[in-house]
Amino acid sequence: MTTVAAPARAGRFRMRPGLERVVYPLGLAITIIVVWEIATRGGFIKRILLAPFSAVVGSLWDGFVVRGWLWPHIAATASVWIVGYLLAVAAGIAVGLLVGMSSRASKIAQPWLNAIYVTPDIALVPIFIIWFGIGFQFKIWYVFLAGFFFVAVNTLTGVKASEGRYIRVARHFGASRRKMIATVILPGSLPYIITGLRQAAGRSLVGVVAAEFVASNTGLGFMVSVAGQTFDTARVMAGIIILVVAGIGTAEILRRVERRFDRWRA
Amino acid sequence: MVATHDRRDTHVTTAQPDGSALLEARGVRMDYERRRDGQIVTAIEGLDLSVAEGEFVSIVGPSGCGKTTFLRIVDGQVHATGGQVLLDGRPIEEVRRDRAMVFQEPLLFPWFSVVRNVAYGLECQNVPIAEAARRAEPYIELVGLAKFKGHYPHELSGGMQQRANLARALTVNPRLLLMDEPFSALDAQTRELMQRELLRIWEEWKRTVLFVTHQIGEAVYLSDRVIVMSGAPGRVVADIRLDLPRPRPLEVKRTPRFQEYEDEIWHLIERQVVINFEQSGGGEAGL
Repeated sequence: MTTVAAPARAGRFRMRPGLERVVYPLGLAITIIVVWEIATRGGFIKRILLAPFSAVVGSLWDGFVVRGWLWPHIAATASVWIVGYLLAVAAGIAVGLLVGMSSRASKIAQPWLNAIYVTPDIALVPIFIIWFGIGFQFKIWYVFLAGFFFVAVNTLTGVKASEGRYIRVARHFGASRRKMIATVILPGSLPYIITGLRQAAGRSLVGVVAAEFVASNTGLGFMVSVAGQTFDTARVMAGIIILVVAGIGTAEILRRVERRFDRWRA
Repeated sequence: MVATHDRRDTHVTTAQPDGSALLEARGVRMDYERRRDGQIVTAIEGLDLSVAEGEFVSIVGPSGCGKTTFLRIVDGQVHATGGQVLLDGRPIEEVRRDRAMVFQEPLLFPWFSVVRNVAYGLECQNVPIAEAARRAEPYIELVGLAKFKGHYPHELSGGMQQRANLARALTVNPRLLLMDEPFSALDAQTRELMQRELLRIWEEWKRTVLFVTHQIGEAVYLSDRVIVMSGAPGRVVADIRLDLPRPRPLEVKRTPRFQEYEDEIWHLIERQVVINFEQSGGGEAGL
């Protein structure tokens, strides 16, 4: 006798893998929010320690829509972040290329790059304030410093890893130095550079917030710091959420940039 | 004609050094410092060779005989430590870009499409990219990659990559095409097809080729002349003009005359290997 197997789809419900990536984290987030709301509203956690989720949302709503007090802070933080980051990227790639391509420059710069790496950025705040005063310039340079190292070192690594055999080809065909950089060294080290851009984006965001913490009268870091001092936990959380979203958003943008270059990678 | 020379012979010249040759090497010597122990090693010593315009010349010899080194000297990547290499009567160091190399590995830039890779030599001569791409097109067609010009190297098979490598060298329109074991990484079937393709292209394109290989059959099938080099330090021990009709279908390889040539060259190389082996006290064969 033959038995007919039950159709496979009568078994357990299965989600598409793409959907799983959305549903699972979302499920966790909703669970946390529900527990959070109940714990705070129900008096299990003091409001001064943790504002209810709804209060945080209310604060965001107020800051964005009703009274709009968040906008100036966001504008201040974003402008410092973008300018400082772009400076770090430009200088980092330039220095990385220079140092990576010349063994003499490498000998001169290596110890300095190491020194930048081991120096806690925050320790430089006082000297930066003395040099640049409190304000936009100070913050820019601070953010620049936070991001620069990661772009420079990753670019440098990429250049050093660029394969001698491709350089030989370029040299054979008589490529000028500029041509060599544009057609061999930069494309070859692009994966490294993008890694550097991603790391630097995160670091420089930390840099903005830190700078605003210690010496600023505007920006999300300043806002969070003041809210913390006045025990306005809802505002603190609102500020953190905005920063998290900014960080994730940037990482996503850079991931897309990276994917654009994937076509030539096997 | 076959001219065979013993290792102890002092001089070998078949083509006359009367200045009519496109490429003329006289007493070329190459010493280099071995990185391992800092010893000075002589890779090439007293190498004489001349290649006439339009000739297809192959160089064979035991491994380590300096045939690739010689190719790199002709290309200008390294300078000979002695002797003279003349292209069209002028020292090779002074000649800008009359040569192009087909590398052993395809060495296409993975970040460029086929057309951009093939156009690369022109791009390096500061031809605008669009024009370079336009001028590369006939060569892409010549090597049979017209349908793949927008593809990236990793999307091509090994044989196709090697075709692009060839097209890249042809695109700069060199007077002398240098080929460094270009088919050695291919499987046997692809290799045979590529040899036939190369002859087809060469017959259409008619330029001078200097071809280094360690496969004797390949050298005999492709060439007008086969140069046999001695073991290190390398010099020319035989210069064999092949009397095989062209165009040559692959079937030529199964004719008795072809096989005689193959045998003869094989024995010449074997003798070099044996001499090398004995000279090194049997310790380090030149294999």
